[in-house]
Amino acid sequence: MTDIKKGPVSGSKPAAHVTIADRRQFLIGSAGLLGAAALGLSTGLGVRRARAQSRAEISFASAAFFGKETFGDLIKAFNESQDRVLVKNIELPPPSSSTEVYQSLVQQLARRTGTPDVFSQDVIWIAGFAAAGWALPLDEYFPADKRSAYFSGTLNACTYDGKLTALPWFMDSGMFYYRKDVLEKHGGKVPENWADMATIAAAAQKAGDVDFGYLWQGKQAEVLVCDAVEIITSNNGAILAPDGKSSLINQKAAVDAIQFLHDTINGTKISPQDVLSWDEEPSRQPFTSGKAMFMRNWSYVYPIAQDAKASQIVDKVGVAPLPSFPGGKSSACLGGYQLGVNANSKQREAAIELLTWLSSTETQHRIALNFGLAPTRPALFQDEKIKAEQPFMASLEKVFTGATARPITPEYAKVTLALQSGISKALVSGNVQAEMDALAAQIDQIVG
Amino acid sequence: MTAAATVPGIGWPRRFGKALPVSLWAFLLLTPAFVSLASVSFYPIINGLYLSLTNTSLITQENEFSGFSNYVQLWGDAQFWNAWWHTMWFTTASTILETVIGLGMALILCEAFKGRGLVRAAMLVPWAMPTVVTSKMFGWLFDGQNGIINYILLHAGLIDQNVNWYGSPDTAMTTIIIADVWKTTPFMALLLLTGLQTVPNSLIEAARMDGAKGWITFWYIRLPLLMPTLLIAGLFRALDAFRVFDLVYVLTGGGPADSTETLSTLSYKVLFSTLQFGYGSAVSTAMFVTEGIIALVFCLYLIRQIRRAQ
Repeated sequence: MTDIKKGPVSGSKPAAHVTIADRRQFLIGSAGLLGAAALGLSTGLGVRRARAQSRAEISFASAAFFGKETFGDLIKAFNESQDRVLVKNIELPPPSSSTEVYQSLVQQLARRTGTPDVFSQDVIWIAGFAAAGWALPLDEYFPADKRSAYFSGTLNACTYDGKLTALPWFMDSGMFYYRKDVLEKHGGKVPENWADMATIAAAAQKAGDVDFGYLWQGKQAEVLVCDAVEIITSNNGAILAPDGKSSLINQKAAVDAIQFLHDTINGTKISPQDVLSWDEEPSRQPFTSGKAMFMRNWSYVYPIAQDAKASQIVDKVGVAPLPSFPGGKSSACLGGYQLGVNANSKQREAAIELLTWLSSTETQHRIALNFGLAPTRPALFQDEKIKAEQPFMASLEKVFTGATARPITPEYAKVTLALQSGISKALVSGNVQAEMDALAAQIDQIVG
Repeated sequence: MTAAATVPGIGWPRRFGKALPVSLWAFLLLTPAFVSLASVSFYPIINGLYLSLTNTSLITQENEFSGFSNYVQLWGDAQFWNAWWHTMWFTTASTILETVIGLGMALILCEAFKGRGLVRAAMLVPWAMPTVVTSKMFGWLFDGQNGIINYILLHAGLIDQNVNWYGSPDTAMTTIIIADVWKTTPFMALLLLTGLQTVPNSLIEAARMDGAKGWITFWYIRLPLLMPTLLIAGLFRALDAFRVFDLVYVLTGGGPADSTETLSTLSYKVLFSTLQFGYGSAVSTAMFVTEGIIALVFCLYLIRQIRRAQ
């Protein structure tokens, strides 16, 4: 299917792609027809016959990302690069419909038929798939020395119950946007802790340089959990205990962190009331129209901020790791899609081969250039070509180093709904400790 | 065509009629309709009911009969009751407002005036619009920073600073109700307009001859005769309002602090985000039962009205 469907801007040589694909289709299709007559010829070309007859056939399912090419093109490139494995691409809905992607993957994996053999998954599904026994542990194929090439935060998110059940692919994380020009007037130093950030933001707001000091996302939605994970972790707190069996969200570190978010609206007043109903886009708009000084958001904002048609702040935007509390470390909520192998796959070796290829330095390099999706291998951020073509991405290595996974639990879907509701209640009412106690009790019941 | 078809046709049913009793023949003809209806309507309901008695979850892979345990859990689930009350409040408020305003609109449109046809057609525009579009539109109207509602209220001196309509639990639900009233009042007006047109003009003329003023005519002649239509329209609206999903999903996602969570959005989250099909079906069944009760109340009232009229 995807062989026919092209991305918005497909490869530079579409004609060549089509011919190669057609020729292979023809070869496969005609293998039977030509039969004995062809045999004489193909024995002469021994390699060709092997290609057409003995390739392991597997399938790959992923949410559909677009860029200069599609994942369909990527799979085609893999099929052409070797003659042992033939991969069929199953295209799922785009990542914006992540609930539908999730449902579709769950339905296919739950059948335990081995289809799809390889799949990509949002970081928050990894634990669930692992606990259900649908994801193959990858430890024996990717020992410690191979793993050290990836960001540790991503590896952590790919690990469930001490086993590596997913392989890092590409990533995103929360980051701290600031206005270079306004910051210049207020000390010029990017704040590294939350209190400094609040002071500078309040000063800039008072001086009338901006309408809003700091923008974040307080809508009762998944993004609120991301904002919460970042601020809680930056105070050395956590949502779940390390064993994942109880909640720490009513401990002092977490409560203070949520209190800080509440205060940005009601105490220091560096954030408008509106953040309580804003997710990513509504908070991005005032920032790119020059009304705000600081903002927490994902990497997609940067290209928009640098686009003169959509932004008033071209060349005035800087990106840094998010601030932290005294004694804590900057933390960035991890997003992105990681790779998994179906535990019921009948073609395990072939699946591992595809997995290795997809996550290899070369393919991640290609994905970074053609899809604009950031690699999970720190080494690639030093790559000259990526630096030249995606200068912003190259600058993110520091941000990604602090990438932190959301709570790792097979019950994540329930936990996140509880978190969204509980944190929203705390932010609205201001009874942070009481709401966090109630929330902790609720989470304990889910994961305990 | 007719002649050619009827000549052999006459003999056929008779011959079959002798072989089969008339009632059986009728059942046979109804079977296709019944089967198709049962497969798309009854089967899903029955299956939903059965699922609500199991602990089916795609994530844990459990799929066993668990009796009424889902309902016991539901009874003690604060989230569910929170959503239940919000849904009831939304249904009551929007149905009453829509009926009253719709009745007013219908009374105006019933009168003869220049360009009435155009106004009648234009009136339906909000109703014809996809709800998601309406939602986005109201999102911008009531936007906390750039919304025109805030702008007008601020300049009229009614508020002293911008109100964040969707970000505060005090105003979020009211704003959603306003959006729903804007969208669905024309539908009520249309239904009531057809009802008003069945009221015989002779009755109204006779009342006028007797010296009755407009209000008296309305209260003693039009309204009682409109009552059955009013109740049926109200029933339609209430059942529809009870299922509210798109407005909430687009505007607030249930927040802030669960203040706009309704049964539809809650069951969507339970069913499709957490994939607990058993418990989610119990939530849906509870919705179904509540809707049944609402319909029953309306019907009893309607029957009483009709009896009294007779």
